[in-house]
Amino acid sequence: MAHLLRRAGFGATPYEMDRALSMGYQAVLDDLLNPDHPDVIPDDLIRRYHVDQSDLRSGGGAHWVYRLVMTDTPLREKICLFWHRVFATGTTKLIQNRVVTNQIDMFREHGMGRFDDLLVELSRDPAMIMWLDNQDNHGSNINENYGREILELFSMGVGNYSEDDIKETARAFTGWRVVNPDYMSIRMRNNTARPYGYMSWQFEYDDDDHDDGEKIILGQKGKWNGEDAVRIICEQDATARFVSRHLYHFFVADELPVPQWPHEDPKDPEAIDVLCRSYFENDHDIGAMLRTLFESDFFKDGGSRYARIKSPSEMVIGTMRLAGPIDLPSEETYMADAACANMGQALMRPPSVEGWQGGTEWINTGAYVERVNFAGRILNDPDKQGVRDIIDRIKALSGQSTITSDELVDNCLEVLGPLEVLDTTRHGLKNYASKFGDMKWSDESLSSEFDRAAVAIIQLVVSSQEYQTI
Amino acid sequence: MTTTTFGLKYVTNVGFAADFGGRGFSLPSSMAIRADGVIFVVSRGKSSTKNSNGIQMVTKDHDFLGQIGTYGAGLGGMMWPTSVVLDSDENLYLADEYFNKVTKYDREGNPITEWGTKGSGDGQFNQPSGLLIQDRLMYVVDSRNNRIQMYSLDGNFVGQWGSGGDGEGEFNLPWGISDDSEGNIYVADWRNDRIQKFDSNGNYISAIGGGKTSVLDRPSDVAVDPDGNIYVTDWGSQCLLVLDQPGNILETKRGEADLSPWSVEYLSSQDDERKARESFVPVYKADTEDPSEVSARMEPYFWDPVAVELDQDGTVYVLETGRHRFQIFERI
Repeated sequence: MAHLLRRAGFGATPYEMDRALSMGYQAVLDDLLNPDHPDVIPDDLIRRYHVDQSDLRSGGGAHWVYRLVMTDTPLREKICLFWHRVFATGTTKLIQNRVVTNQIDMFREHGMGRFDDLLVELSRDPAMIMWLDNQDNHGSNINENYGREILELFSMGVGNYSEDDIKETARAFTGWRVVNPDYMSIRMRNNTARPYGYMSWQFEYDDDDHDDGEKIILGQKGKWNGEDAVRIICEQDATARFVSRHLYHFFVADELPVPQWPHEDPKDPEAIDVLCRSYFENDHDIGAMLRTLFESDFFKDGGSRYARIKSPSEMVIGTMRLAGPIDLPSEETYMADAACANMGQALMRPPSVEGWQGGTEWINTGAYVERVNFAGRILNDPDKQGVRDIIDRIKALSGQSTITSDELVDNCLEVLGPLEVLDTTRHGLKNYASKFGDMKWSDESLSSEFDRAAVAIIQLVVSSQEYQTI
Repeated sequence: MTTTTFGLKYVTNVGFAADFGGRGFSLPSSMAIRADGVIFVVSRGKSSTKNSNGIQMVTKDHDFLGQIGTYGAGLGGMMWPTSVVLDSDENLYLADEYFNKVTKYDREGNPITEWGTKGSGDGQFNQPSGLLIQDRLMYVVDSRNNRIQMYSLDGNFVGQWGSGGDGEGEFNLPWGISDDSEGNIYVADWRNDRIQKFDSNGNYISAIGGGKTSVLDRPSDVAVDPDGNIYVTDWGSQCLLVLDQPGNILETKRGEADLSPWSVEYLSSQDDERKARESFVPVYKADTEDPSEVSARMEPYFWDPVAVELDQDGTVYVLETGRHRFQIFERI
């Protein structure tokens, strides 16, 4: 169960784990895939009390961090992170955060639906159009950028299409642009909010600018428009394999970086076959593929546990959720967004159109120090609701009003996950905890002393290498 | 007291996105109009460009007169300013919901004193928003404490009323505040979607809106003209509404700003933007019904209208956070 909640969410607080265990694996999975309640993010409060997040000129990452921390539909948010990594779109070029936030909203709505629908929405997405210059893709003069990337990065991968397919696909998407394309392009290029602030963009199809001629895309001939191109792409085996490998990479185990996929077999070819079959048997439905994945032996097997390095966002959000709910966006959410960036994953600012590769890319000396410092800072206060709950459960697990230093470590690992650690790690933690000796909380002074000891161990646990994996 | 016919016409707008300070505003949150026509607009700015904080002084004729205050924690400084108001001596008062304080500036803009700390006790605030001065008494909307506090103009606590809830005299994150010519006080009870009317001692009189079928949607501010007409910046619907005392809507404005002289001047120095703007369609059919997103796309529309003020001639000023300007309307 803990494995599922780590991968399909951001880990579980002790309360969430209790609830999940009482529901059972299948019911929890059903709830993750098909939450029967809307997310309860108070957008009006955010917009009023965090004004710069209303126009979202900047602060898009912090805005999303708040939602990620507070959501009670974690898989829906996780799938947004997934697609953000695959369809990497950045404010670095687009200048404003609002349109990327709107794109994330679109992932929230379509991210677990049919891949065909998602790709059509992506192709209509104003941020994507401007990101890959499709406003410059005219019937009389094509711009191949989006045609290339939808095949290479978003659906099939290198080696499964020709240069002609790129051109023909680009032709299918001519006329797909934003309203006021010239003015919006120049404002973006000039990086200006003048005279009256940024303007959000809207998709517009210009039939007069569309190349209505016959095209051959992946061997199919017709007067294809963008929706037809997406249909043809989604029928391909290569697309099923590409999506499957991405899902495996994100939810099961770290794979090789995407650019190596054309040359290297998947880590688990049978798992990819299972996911491909699910893709075709379920009409390209991503939610159905996720169900297949989370119900599979290759996911439930011990081999996939802790087989991925946490992305910065997973590490940051999971830790913040452990610390407890936050009332409204705060300086903490801005700091968390900055921390993700310092660890190598600036949300809404991917390094390139290829997004983040993940895996060992996430860890280097500087990033690790940032992780340790961040987790220690977030979990440093025994009066935070989540930390208090963890401490109370550590006490409760002891079954009495005293605890040994060894029990403190064991209980802490149990409550924070449970987190499976190497013997050497456990030994190191116990060695450190031994300086506290046996502890009691029978009066205020002893209780306060125990709180400090517990917080110290919690901070050490979240500094461990095991906590960096998922 | 109410009129039977009512109309407003757009006149002009004053504003410009001044992200880095200078002529214009940055995420303005409040405005006050002095008798001599000087308009004080508070820019909340954004955290990454701190020099955009301040109280800008302008006129409705597009004169930019300078700035009072700046980002900072010291006396006269601000971080998240929410409201500005003038007293009869033309001193200026500013509420700040980050520092939970009210700062008093003299007529020349020198900070004189400040009061308030975070909390829920007498003289404490939890994110103060609207300010009103009536008969040498200041009313402070203490938004997250769901109450109205009263102070002398030197910051001495006088009294309070209100608590959290949706009953009469209760509040859910109130925002703006104003009064009418008879001294009654109107509070934009933001998250209860209503305007509540009180006497000057805080005794409940009536309300407009509220409940699931409310005519109002997250009202942010209110003003009342001598005829008793009630002007509401309806932040949720992104409109200016004018209502009579029973709550009938007399006028709805979505905003219709054109290019202000400051904007024309800017574009005159930007050939590429000016030329591209020749084919610019400012208002078109949106593919969303979310008023905030529509406002984000349509430049002439109000985007997060947060304050409505009336001058002594009855001219109406609507301040928009998202578009860094205020639009001016006159009665027709």
